[in-house]
Amino acid sequence: MSLSDLVLSIADNKQMLGLRYAEWATRAPSLEADIAAAAMGLDDLGHSRVLYGCLEPLGADPRGADRESNAASLRNLAYFDEPWSEWSHFVAANAILDSAFTVMIEACVNGSVEVLQHRLRKMLMEERYHFLHGRSWLRSGIDKGPLDRAWREAIEWFGPPDGETALLHREGKLAMGPAELRARLEQQLEMKAPRVEIDWQAWDPVRRRGKPGAIDEHTFGMLRGLEEKKYAPPTAAKQASS
Amino acid sequence: MSTGYKRVSGDAVEYEVFARKTRVEPLHQVGSVVAPDDDLAMAYARATYDEERWCEMAIVRKDHVIELWQPGEA
Repeated sequence: MSLSDLVLSIADNKQMLGLRYAEWATRAPSLEADIAAAAMGLDDLGHSRVLYGCLEPLGADPRGADRESNAASLRNLAYFDEPWSEWSHFVAANAILDSAFTVMIEACVNGSVEVLQHRLRKMLMEERYHFLHGRSWLRSGIDKGPLDRAWREAIEWFGPPDGETALLHREGKLAMGPAELRARLEQQLEMKAPRVEIDWQAWDPVRRRGKPGAIDEHTFGMLRGLEEKKYAPPTAAKQASS
Repeated sequence: MSTGYKRVSGDAVEYEVFARKTRVEPLHQVGSVVAPDDDLAMAYARATYDEERWCEMAIVRKDHVIELWQPGEA
């Protein structure tokens, strides 16, 4: 595990978060919430592009060829594996997971790695509005199930107390380690995380998750451009395959 | 979709949205949003009216505006 692996994890998660937000752009409880879902989706897809662009300057691009064929090679959290069926899933992701990614980006911006200091700073400004949106909906009260699940996955994603994230913090590359990241998230959301027992032996340090699985076939197909090819005119499909 | 959520901050209220593109021009009204609290109103205003490159944006609750007179009264 390296800083590049962590940046790729943030990028993959933001890409999936953006796509899942966008799926709610016509299903949210109000027109304003529809527009916010679309706007936040675009923001996070844009952020993922910036993060992918940081991999080369960081020196080691961990993306392998299997990303084109194996959905399980993407480093997204299990929370994004399937489309969200309830608005409470959206709110828990918006308030807890989106904020968890932002806290990690804050740790990168305030760390010692120059490319991350410069390129990720603007994201923090844009994420302020995602946070306000998520916190407000969270305060209105949502189902406990998705909320607890989002907290668990956020804490897992920060990593074990003595793992690579902690090492990157000790080296100064990250301004916060797992304990500080969790405390910062709790402080921002003005709430305590639920008690969670995590089996770090079963935790996947590359995908930063404890649960096996991968994103659904439809979403993976869309990510790889397969859906576009299916609906494209025959000549375009032929060109795309050649 | 679940629609059973009650907002703790009460009923949604209308907010007017103001913005300007340069420091030399005054703030002008660009639209409005409906939200149950200031936080969500800020998020909605930014999401809805962010297509222009504004240098400043502000919102104000419509019921906080003090009217001196209305159309037809002047």
